[in-house]
Amino acid sequence: MAKDIEISTSEAQFILEALKQNGRLDGRSFDQFRDVEISFGREYGDVTVKMGNTKVQCRISCQIAQPYEDRPFEGLFLISTESSPMAGPQFENGNNTGEDEVLCARIIEKAVRRSGALDVEGLCIVAGSKCWAVRADVHFLDCDGGFIDASCVAVMTALLHFKKPDISVLGDRVTVHPVDEREPVSLGILHIPICVTFSFFNPQDTEENIKGDSNSEIAIIDATLKEELLRDGTLTVTLNKNREVVQVSKAGGLPMDALSLMENCHKAYTITERLTEQILDVIKKDDAERNKYATLLSSENARET
Amino acid sequence: MTTIKVSTGVLTNVDGSSQFECRDTKVLCAVTGPVEPKARQELPTRLALEVVVRPAKGVPNTREKLMEDRLRAVLTPLIVCSKYPRQLCQITCQILEAGEDEGEFSQKELSCCINAAFLALIDAQLALHSFSSSVSLAVLKESGELVLNPTGDLLKVSLSAHTLALELTDGSKKVANVLLLDSNGDFTDAQLLKVLQVGEQGCLEQAQFMRNFLAAKITDEIVRTKVNDNGN
Amino acid sequence: MSRLEIYSPEGLRLDGRRWNELRRFECSINTHSHAADGSSYLEQGNNKVITLVKGPQEPSSRSQVDTAKALLRISVNITKFSKTERSKTSHKNERRVLEMQTALVRTFNKNVMLNVYPRTLINIEVHVLQQDGGIMGSLINGITLALIDAGIAMYDYISGVSVGLYDTTPLLDTNSLEENAMSTVTLGVVGKTEKLSLLLVEDKIPLDRLENVLAIGIAGTHRIRDLMDKELRKRAEKRVANALSR
Repeated sequence: MAKDIEISTSEAQFILEALKQNGRLDGRSFDQFRDVEISFGREYGDVTVKMGNTKVQCRISCQIAQPYEDRPFEGLFLISTESSPMAGPQFENGNNTGEDEVLCARIIEKAVRRSGALDVEGLCIVAGSKCWAVRADVHFLDCDGGFIDASCVAVMTALLHFKKPDISVLGDRVTVHPVDEREPVSLGILHIPICVTFSFFNPQDTEENIKGDSNSEIAIIDATLKEELLRDGTLTVTLNKNREVVQVSKAGGLPMDALSLMENCHKAYTITERLTEQILDVIKKDDAERNKYATLLSSENARET
Repeated sequence: MTTIKVSTGVLTNVDGSSQFECRDTKVLCAVTGPVEPKARQELPTRLALEVVVRPAKGVPNTREKLMEDRLRAVLTPLIVCSKYPRQLCQITCQILEAGEDEGEFSQKELSCCINAAFLALIDAQLALHSFSSSVSLAVLKESGELVLNPTGDLLKVSLSAHTLALELTDGSKKVANVLLLDSNGDFTDAQLLKVLQVGEQGCLEQAQFMRNFLAAKITDEIVRTKVNDNGN
Repeated sequence: MSRLEIYSPEGLRLDGRRWNELRRFECSINTHSHAADGSSYLEQGNNKVITLVKGPQEPSSRSQVDTAKALLRISVNITKFSKTERSKTSHKNERRVLEMQTALVRTFNKNVMLNVYPRTLINIEVHVLQQDGGIMGSLINGITLALIDAGIAMYDYISGVSVGLYDTTPLLDTNSLEENAMSTVTLGVVGKTEKLSLLLVEDKIPLDRLENVLAIGIAGTHRIRDLMDKELRKRAEKRVANALSR
């Protein structure tokens, strides 16, 4: 992800040598994902995700817009991932055409939007004329590797957390009820894709990698910034709890044996399961926290059915 | 005084950073600099500033551009620009929570941006001329009451909204200059004077709070390094 | 839209192929000998791709000089008339195209011996004249051929193909009709090995089916490698014969 920052030769050699001896700078094992810390802001759909020093904020907003002519029954959904110098000096302001930025944006786009994680048909208000336009703004606050993985968790958690104002439709007239008047409604989330990024290192020379049979390439999960700078190749696997591969992106880089790539996919699945659980858990806890008094205020009678 | 939450040194990859929270508005600011600028940004005798304000939602548009311009106008006289000729300082403010209707107002965000940027500059250890502090104010519609650092809901029922930024001297006990007074809406000159008066009081109190925070942080850091020295 | 039978019970696909059959694969090299140092023209089904390799040459600007190795640059030009319906915009600077370029550069960076051409630039232009699904694979094949024609040192062939998954049947070398109807996987394989240089999955596929799809894909790329190899050898023989007869 970084062009301008360089790592000193001695440090680079140290990291690579450590990897050959099964060690990482932060003491993690090769297939250990960093702990993910998810916190919510004041409003619905404001989520900050921290993984080590990496920090990403996602903010969901919505407004009423006109649907595309060729898709009258679907709402609009846009994910904007723009980087700024805040995350590190390697990011330029307003320049999102860098290789890594494009790849990152495309992978999140494919993982979340293309895979239909958000039910866009549920965003339709009046077919052909009015629909909700949901926008996810991903802000990269601090970069220590793993932007794709962190952003994906942030976007999905924020989508699950977000609530849009309730509406009622009478003919062609649409009334938007303010949040204090009517309970806002959640978005329809069809599945939760989770991205897991692997970084590959080649401990031997290139010929052994291409011609040899030893398959001794090193694969580590969730690289930090320094590891990302030194890696020879990368693979991002996106899975969901239903054992579906949502997206895989190994855009070149170190050639890797097909079987070891499959193995990586299976490793990613266990992480996916765990993260999905964690996301649903924090959402539930936050929901309970926000609706502490809901049962007190409820005028519902305990009825027998 | 309005409760504010301040923290500095929150980001790892920049030279200085701070988070400033005032009621329902929260801003994160990062400062990188002095660094080598691109050829077109370079100023032969002084430090060039690149100021960026990024909104919580949506794409940056003219509103953010205006805020950037105001922020630059406030910060330029504070920084000792002549100390860093042909260098660049990037100041990026990310609004985390706007706390006001973004379509109509930007006062609260602007005052928080100013404070956050100032603290981040201190954290980045850039040479500054003097201390500064900024508050937002609103004159309410019905009562004509003047509110310091109003909430977003109060802004909605206000007749006029103001942002005030002051340069302070003498241990931040005296006002040296008005750096910015940005007013929107209907108001009389008497009201404006009142705004200045109340704002000044608010700025001074807030400045003391910020100074105390910085002092505590520095003492803490020095004590910690001393302990470490002894330990080794 | 009428219901198309993607894969008939008799085991035939829309264009009459079986599940494990490639499309017509024709290629030639040195097609633009005056315009570039290496060139190729490739037809893979209805995909038609011209590839030009210029270099190793002196970089036009100082920033492109790398003292340790050559710089590889690939630009993909998807023409407006490449699909049945003429597109209004040129696809340049589209994120999708930028992504393709990046993926291609990263694929070939590891396979071309860039270290033997320090301080130079290798510029590759790909022109897509016609596209009908699985374009990424065709781009890889075209570039491999053109690089060989240019005489640039590489470790091995890289061949690309896309494989779809229709229900539980993998379909090799998908065309655009098939691509729209199902999820596809694009592979870029190094030579006759099982090493994947490129692997792209853009739609949902059950995790447990992926292995199957990769297996047929690898077999397909090996076949493509052989087809490219045959053409190159034929070409080389012709050249030798020409040289001898002189």
